Amino acid sequence: MKRRSFIKTSAATAAGAIAAPYILPSGRLFAQTGSRSAEHVVLVMFAGGVRHQESVGMRYLDDAQVNEPYPGNIMYNMLTGAPPEMKIVYGTGEGGISPIPALPSFVNNSLQAQGTLFQEMQAFSSGHFGGLNSILQGISAESQGLKQRPINPTIFEYIRRHGGYGATDVWFVGNGIDGSVPLLNYSGHPDYGIKYGANFFAPNVTFNQQSQTYLGNSKIYHPENELNPMYKLKAFLDNTFANYGGSLDALGNTEEEKQNIKTFMNLMYEKVENGTLNLPPVSDSGDAYTIGFASEVMTYFKPAFMTVNLSGVDVCHSNFSDYVRAMHRADHAVGHLWEVIQNDPNLAGNTSIICIPECGRNDEPNSIQDENLWRAYDHSDANSLRIWSLMAGPGILSNHVVGSFDAPVGQVSDAMLTVADILGIAGSIPTNLLADNTQSLLYLMNNPG
Amino acid sequence: MNTPDGINPNTSTHMSQMPSQPHYKGLVASLGALAAVGTLLQSCRKEKEALFELNPVNLYSSAAEKDKEKTNAQYISILYTNLFQSAISSNQVFELDEAFRSIGDQEIAKEVLISNFFNNAGVQLPTSEEMNGDMDTFIIETYKRFLLRIPNEAEQLWVKNFILSHPYVTPEIVYFSFALCNEYKYY
Repeated sequence: MKRRSFIKTSAATAAGAIAAPYILPSGRLFAQTGSRSAEHVVLVMFAGGVRHQESVGMRYLDDAQVNEPYPGNIMYNMLTGAPPEMKIVYGTGEGGISPIPALPSFVNNSLQAQGTLFQEMQAFSSGHFGGLNSILQGISAESQGLKQRPINPTIFEYIRRHGGYGATDVWFVGNGIDGSVPLLNYSGHPDYGIKYGANFFAPNVTFNQQSQTYLGNSKIYHPENELNPMYKLKAFLDNTFANYGGSLDALGNTEEEKQNIKTFMNLMYEKVENGTLNLPPVSDSGDAYTIGFASEVMTYFKPAFMTVNLSGVDVCHSNFSDYVRAMHRADHAVGHLWEVIQNDPNLAGNTSIICIPECGRNDEPNSIQDENLWRAYDHSDANSLRIWSLMAGPGILSNHVVGSFDAPVGQVSDAMLTVADILGIAGSIPTNLLADNTQSLLYLMNNPG
Repeated sequence: MNTPDGINPNTSTHMSQMPSQPHYKGLVASLGALAAVGTLLQSCRKEKEALFELNPVNLYSSAAEKDKEKTNAQYISILYTNLFQSAISSNQVFELDEAFRSIGDQEIAKEVLISNFFNNAGVQLPTSEEMNGDMDTFIIETYKRFLLRIPNEAEQLWVKNFILSHPYVTPEIVYFSFALCNEYKYY
């Protein structure tokens, strides 16, 4: 080969490699590494076991209860569709007969209209913890034990390690401290772990009255005269202990970040006391409070990535009416979070959102009836592996639907890779740590296959 | 009246079922007298005074001996005792453990808790005058209180120089550092 043609061929190959998506040994395609499509990503784990039929299926009572032919969309902030016309129990007031109105910015402009809906996706696990782990780790979580930290690295660790983000750039806002939720902010993987973990609050516990009794009256120390020597002396003691082999890994918040978090905590205690928390207009549920605190985290820290976990719909094990109420409120809460983001000049137009349930619910009800004589649903069969996902933000197609009820596209592990893709680090994630066929939803959006 | 082994000599079936043959009568009478004397002696015995005291805590000879991390509940209980010189209730430990589990960075949870404790009037602290009046004793006692060991010479000298060179350092700041250091999180 002549020198000129060699250079020409090499240049063309190099250009192709830069422009084209990576083709990994596994044959998977990822979007170009290194280019971010948004500065901030919010992942809403719309969790607790959301039955496909009542959520994205918009069937309300029609598929769930005998002799109740009343379909309709009870998530009209997130999804496009007409609400039920009769048998409304999910609203406010006595009997829940007054539906919560759509939030102003979602009237005739649902999140679905603003973004892309994956109408039918596949979950790997019909359990909550397995499902949450699949979302955060991008794996099937088959060997993931309960009461155990994630086996493989979480999205938090990938972002911090490969994206170079600080600890307060990555947040996990949990719905509570039960169900091993506090274990999800970092894995036990030897190459990642706590030093790349996310900051975590379960705000309904951290900022409740009980915790405020112990943690809400912090003494303010002078940063230079008091805190500085305090940390110096601690550093000396830690160094001495390290000489004997003693050390303790930590999340890696810098001193400045720690002070910032402590200031935030004091601010939250004040806001709770004054009733000025940034709550959704209707805030009569635990999920509403979780989202309220998540909104505060988002606007205060402006993190690169925040995950928030909802769980109110899990009441469906024993009360179907409360389940539809919780779903209606979760939709309202997600709408509020997106409005908060759009009203913050530093976040608006620069933030993407992904919503995904961790698992669905059974096709057939159990024997428990509620006050309306409606049957409750557990989650263990094939129907409970039916999920969906909704995303919006820069670079995401608007008013776009991918797949259909008969033709699923995507799986639960895709959410993790999508976050990584949006933040430009997808190519850094070891493919052997992902579930088979895991893809970025950004890729599937344009290439549903 | 019961005998020391709990048998009433007058009502015991054991006694009443004894065969009533003549050569047993003397033995029964002797045993009865013996039991009565024994009972009398026991009832006249001076009652022992109960003495309750804390077990002495053995000091570590070196930090190297600490290789187990305290649980949150252990840390909270020991911290409370060290600062308030009294025991925390199990209910408070439970509630604080819940609060700790709701915070990802345990270092921050501990800092916030300690600073809240120091806002409480019940904390038992030496005064700055006491610290400066006998700094060597203060340093040794602080090591013993928090780390359950005596500082070596290098440690004592370093801490002493540190306090002397930082005029705003109070016993509270020193205690804060010790309560937050990694060695304190181990046993």
